[in-house]
Amino acid sequence: MAMTPGTATTTTEPAAPEVAPATPAAPDAPLAPDTNFPGEHPNEIPALAPITPQPGKALYRQALPGVMQVPADLVLAAARKSSLWPMTFGLACCAIEMIGTYMSHYDLDRFGIVPWPSPRQSDVMIVAGTVTKKMAPAVKLLYEQMPNPKWVISMGACATNGGPYTRYDRVLQGVDKIIPVDVYVPGCPPRPEALIDSFLALQDMIMEERSAEGRGA
Amino acid sequence: MVVEASTPFEASEFETQDLLINVGPQHPSTHGVFRMVLEIDGEVVKDLVPYIGYLHRGAEKLCENNDFRQGIGYMDRTEYLAAHNAELSYVMAVEALAEIEVPERAQWIRMILCELNRISSHFMFLGAFGVDVGVFGTPFIYAWRERETVIDLFEEISGDRMMYAYFRAGGLAWEVPTNFVERVQQVLKSARQGVKDFDGLLTENEIFIARTKGVGVISAEDAIEIGMSGPSLRASGVPLDLRKTEPYLYYDQLDFEPITAEGGDVFDRYLVRLQEISQSIDLIEQCLDRLQDGPIVPEKMPRMLRLPEGEVYMRTEAPRGEYGVYMVSKGGNKPHRLKVRSACLSNLQALKQMSVGQYVADAIIILGSIDIVLSEVDR
Amino acid sequence: MTTDDSGSDAVEEAPEPPDTFEDTIWPDVNRSLTAVDVRPERSTLDLIVHIPRADVVRGLGMLKNAEALKFDYLRSLTAVDNEADGVDVVYHLYSVPNNINLTVKTTLANDDKVVETASNVWQAANWLERETAEMFGVTFTNHPDPRPLLMPEDVDMSDTFPLLKSHPFAEIDILQGEQLGYDRDADEGD
Repeated sequence: MAMTPGTATTTTEPAAPEVAPATPAAPDAPLAPDTNFPGEHPNEIPALAPITPQPGKALYRQALPGVMQVPADLVLAAARKSSLWPMTFGLACCAIEMIGTYMSHYDLDRFGIVPWPSPRQSDVMIVAGTVTKKMAPAVKLLYEQMPNPKWVISMGACATNGGPYTRYDRVLQGVDKIIPVDVYVPGCPPRPEALIDSFLALQDMIMEERSAEGRGA
Repeated sequence: MVVEASTPFEASEFETQDLLINVGPQHPSTHGVFRMVLEIDGEVVKDLVPYIGYLHRGAEKLCENNDFRQGIGYMDRTEYLAAHNAELSYVMAVEALAEIEVPERAQWIRMILCELNRISSHFMFLGAFGVDVGVFGTPFIYAWRERETVIDLFEEISGDRMMYAYFRAGGLAWEVPTNFVERVQQVLKSARQGVKDFDGLLTENEIFIARTKGVGVISAEDAIEIGMSGPSLRASGVPLDLRKTEPYLYYDQLDFEPITAEGGDVFDRYLVRLQEISQSIDLIEQCLDRLQDGPIVPEKMPRMLRLPEGEVYMRTEAPRGEYGVYMVSKGGNKPHRLKVRSACLSNLQALKQMSVGQYVADAIIILGSIDIVLSEVDR
Repeated sequence: MTTDDSGSDAVEEAPEPPDTFEDTIWPDVNRSLTAVDVRPERSTLDLIVHIPRADVVRGLGMLKNAEALKFDYLRSLTAVDNEADGVDVVYHLYSVPNNINLTVKTTLANDDKVVETASNVWQAANWLERETAEMFGVTFTNHPDPRPLLMPEDVDMSDTFPLLKSHPFAEIDILQGEQLGYDRDADEGD
């Protein structure tokens, strides 16, 4: 719509028509680029040129070069494995090695693994340390507070089967008696490299099982 | 334009309700599985009930079933941040009962390792305490940078980063590497820089001072009555340091004074620990001057230790306080009763007294300043 | 290594004079404990005194307030299970101004494990007695807060005392080589 010159300003000088009305586009021609635009914008999508489809190659690859088609579950699995957020749940001595793995010497942040205190926004629970029978209800509650998909890494000998304290009757012989575990890491305490290895194994597992609906669904 | 109230504010008779807050066994501060229930009025803590026992693993009962060498591994895991000090109490108790004479070189190396462990444990305290106060990233990463240098040295000596099991009844398990003295000097150089970093970051920081001065005060008489020990007691003005009052190993040949502070508040507890790192660096240098070659185990060391009947209460100064091992032996190769006198349990009894009347945020800092390790509280 | 202090190579030897404990703090302790039946013994580092159960808290109060001793710091409070001979409650005392140590022991019979609380003498005894009570089944009368300290709050564990010798060790549920892990196929659809 062309603007009537002179109605917008309050000055008294006679307004000259400065804005040229745009030429009305013909209905069949492709859209012309905006004439006021200074140059070609780098993000501008190039105009769609008409093509003749060739056999042997997918149509979308010929019409839309630069677009990739992948299965949706691969994208979701790649996103999930690259941003695993563990809940900071250190119980005993293994917690110190877990903290050491987060710190600069054996950095876990480069894998996208950021420790997160709240169970409601985390993906992985690392059970680091001995689970006693007094603590077991709290562990189960925290596991159920985590939203799906979620995974559990059982770090250390105590979380696997009670460890050196297995002969005491107030100790739960392994955290897998109350929650399902995906990766077991042996050691007392496991070295930081072992914990990094367990995260890589968990990432492989997530990519392999990506056709499922997500753990715990 | 400021409008002044015509009448001063007076709280009405309307009673607000007290709130019960559960600082549950899982919480973002890195102290482990400790639970406290706070009853607060507004933000002021009216009552605090601590619940412990979430990490009670029965080390005392299990040690009755294991002989005197297997018990060293349990003592490591009882105090995992200062494992050399924990092993030292146990090993010295066995040596006192069996009347084993430890060679001199082993004693000096034990002292050096215990003081290095004190340095790494105090750095961990500084890092975790910074997180509690609210400085989330920087002190923790500085602390771990310093800890990793010390732990690398421990790994070269004993093979493990945290659970060393390197002391034996009678001396050490094996000889230290040949470049031990140079490595220790490197570690000390890095530790000195770490102390300077923390000093510059926290001690003169006015936000830190405003948060910690005058908070969580405990007087000297109350602290002795409750049974506190270690830096928390020395920050209240009591110069009780077991390395000075009841010297063990060769601490009576070294030249140092216990570090005390006057106020007994959170800032003083932080300051005492920071200065103790410098003191430990100085002590290690004195030990390195006196270290000489020699054997590390006595010549006639039996393979299987059988102790005579008797009992001993052996106490040493761990980074958190007095770590005592009360061992009763009725012959045989296993102890009849092994009791670990835990410094953190006695220090934790003072938490309620220090926190009532303070704000909720201060209760977290006070808990951090006592510097507890839950596996020692619960054993 | 056992120490062999009875000279086995001498045929005739004068019997050893009875130990008078003069070189320890025993004379001061004996003087301070009036009207209390007390018996000394040596241990590897300190002096042990045995006081019968009925007088022990009174004796501890005297030891705390005595001028020469001033045991104002309770280091440790625990118990030892001697099976048939009963349970010994052990107190380790320390004096901050005088830098001296003492161990006090009292013996309780197995069927009557009751003793007065020491938390009126030292506040440090509060939690230590709670722990001793739940580990050994000792009842401390007039305790201000007799709840378990380290045990779970479930009711079904409250009548077993782990540190007694009669309490067994747990059996290992799953031995190495058997199936480990939560059987996730068995529990679907929740």
